[in-house]
Amino acid sequence: MRVTCESRRARRGGKSGGVSTLTWHEVGAYAIAALLYMAHLVGLRRGPEYAGRALLAVGVALHFADIGVRCYHGTSPISSTPDAMSLVAFMIAAVYLLTSMRYQLAAAGGFAVPAVVALILLARLAPAEAMAPAAVALPEMGRLGQAHILLATLGVAVFAFAAVLAIVYLFQDRSLKRKQLDRVVARGTPLETLDRLAHRCVSVGFPVFTLAIVTGAIWVARLGLLHGRGTLRPEYLIAVGTWIAFAVLIIARVGAGWRGRRAAWLTLGGFGGTALVVAAYFIRHAV
Amino acid sequence: MAGANIDLLLIGVSHKTAPVAVRERLAVEPDAVAAALAELTALPAVREAAMISTCNRVELYAAVDDADRASADLAEILARRAGVAVSDLAEHLYQHRDAAAVRHLFRVASSLDSLVIGEPQILGQTKQAYDAAVQHGTAGALLRSCFEEGAFRVARRVRRETAIARNPVSVSSVAVDFARQVVGDFGRKRVLIVSAGKMAALAARTLRTHGASLTVINRTRARSEELAKVYGADVADWNDLRGALVAADIVIASTGAQRPVLTLELIKEVRKARRGRPLCLLDIAVPRDVDPEAAKLDGIYLFDIDDLQKQAGEHRAEREEEAAEAEALVEEELGRFVKRWRSRQRGPVVSALQAHFHGIARAEVIRVSGGIDEKERKARLDLAESLVKKLLHLPMTALRDDDPDEALSLVQALQRLFSLSPIAAVPASEEAQAAGNVEKKATGS
Repeated sequence: MRVTCESRRARRGGKSGGVSTLTWHEVGAYAIAALLYMAHLVGLRRGPEYAGRALLAVGVALHFADIGVRCYHGTSPISSTPDAMSLVAFMIAAVYLLTSMRYQLAAAGGFAVPAVVALILLARLAPAEAMAPAAVALPEMGRLGQAHILLATLGVAVFAFAAVLAIVYLFQDRSLKRKQLDRVVARGTPLETLDRLAHRCVSVGFPVFTLAIVTGAIWVARLGLLHGRGTLRPEYLIAVGTWIAFAVLIIARVGAGWRGRRAAWLTLGGFGGTALVVAAYFIRHAV
Repeated sequence: MAGANIDLLLIGVSHKTAPVAVRERLAVEPDAVAAALAELTALPAVREAAMISTCNRVELYAAVDDADRASADLAEILARRAGVAVSDLAEHLYQHRDAAAVRHLFRVASSLDSLVIGEPQILGQTKQAYDAAVQHGTAGALLRSCFEEGAFRVARRVRRETAIARNPVSVSSVAVDFARQVVGDFGRKRVLIVSAGKMAALAARTLRTHGASLTVINRTRARSEELAKVYGADVADWNDLRGALVAADIVIASTGAQRPVLTLELIKEVRKARRGRPLCLLDIAVPRDVDPEAAKLDGIYLFDIDDLQKQAGEHRAEREEEAAEAEALVEEELGRFVKRWRSRQRGPVVSALQAHFHGIARAEVIRVSGGIDEKERKARLDLAESLVKKLLHLPMTALRDDDPDEALSLVQALQRLFSLSPIAAVPASEEAQAAGNVEKKATGS
């Protein structure tokens, strides 16, 4: 991909930060879908939910095309901060869309789809200086560096979706503990389903994140050897801490039956750690 | 809606006007529907008839030629069926005519007149009543229009556009909803019923219909086995209450014990053994069977009878609020229905009027066009047609007036002035066909 993308960019003079018409269309579809999901959450009619899902599908299709077009013009989806964020948003939207076809997840849509819109807007509209390019240029990354960034992006997306499910779980749990079968709860996903789905996400995300850490560690070690940049940074420690949090969650679930509220908080904590790693990485390169 | 001229008459009793002792005597068994409908349409003043017979209402809907006579005849039939004099039944009977009868049908189908507003069964029962009338040939243009184009459409809109049927209002349904929000689909879930009393039997029936597997546990094993036999449930031994609780996903407790049967200590033990699996406890006993402190434990979701009743009450209040919105939809659809019906009534008269004038013009042109060539004859015919159209423009506009009284009086005046054929209430398709025939006659083709 590196060779193809880079050579095309060289040929076509492609840029990574421009906002294309296709991007605006995808943002429009996502934004209307987000409004519809939120309307469903508040008004609780079935209509907005169905329309929201249809528009989300349109948004995902446009987003997929957008990423494809950018790649065709020489911009890899992991070559810059905005593109990586856009890829994360795409993955969250796609995973949510596919999951919502199997499960009643309209309440989660009220959180997940607005998050997707926020991520894309942040990626595409934030000032260029706040969105510094990746520390190392794509050709310099090598296969290991690209694998690390791709795996980390995928891991972040899956953990983000697990975090959305955990948030919905905590809302549902609180309402049921207060004996409220209110509109949101009545239309929400059952607690056990939310818990199971969040666990599946963590189970999928954990090996991906593990591979991201391993490839990242090797990559950094190699860069350190090659360029003398081998200092131990705080985000590496946070990444390891996050990895330990998710490992504890998985082991404790199997071993000690950690589920429900405790698992939801731990998932949120783990995702918070992941978000901190990403933020620390971007802030470091923006300063 | 005065002057809408919908010859619909409704006469009947419902839970609002008659006690069950009266309603049960008037109820018509499915096997007897054909004979009952035949009896209704045999009345001289009744053209069409349909009958809604449920546990909460018995209503006769009839398209009539003479409403007063039909009303007396139908009341007589109902009184005979109840085995009382008409005067004795009169205090329970209500009747509506014309648009008011249509409105009542719309409200019934939309579940706005039900004992529990928003209950879903009445729409199905209304459809069955209409299907029976169609099957036995007692539904004509008016009833078809009232039910198919009116009542069912309104009912669908009410269910789709309002929240009238969204949340359950019975305690057992609320309990099912709470449980579903904790454990999800009941398909692979095990429900433990602690006690074998009447309330437990009701809950068991509700959950059984949702596909749950049942286990009954009671201090007296014989009673457990009795209930288990009825609902196809397993029986657990009282000594293994802890094990049964660990295996269950939902517990329904309704014993007559004076102290909590499911103590805090027992639930803590069970919770530990469940290894994080959530447990939904539905305590419908008074005094309560589950220690209320258990609700504070993580993964334990406890709902007692007060919680369930409170929620059911809130849902009932919500339905009352939504009912106002539904009533507005009924009025909107009623207005649309009356307008459509009136337009159908005017259609044949409008066509007949046009045919009358065009026929005269054509005949006169032909009469004075002897010996002229075809081209000239066609030009004269076109001129005559054009004149007729212009002359009829204002009368036609007046006939399309939305004021029902105005339009109806004009229709009647035209019929009288030009000896036009009487107004025929026909369905849209037949109306179009009739209009086509009139046109054919007018053009002589």
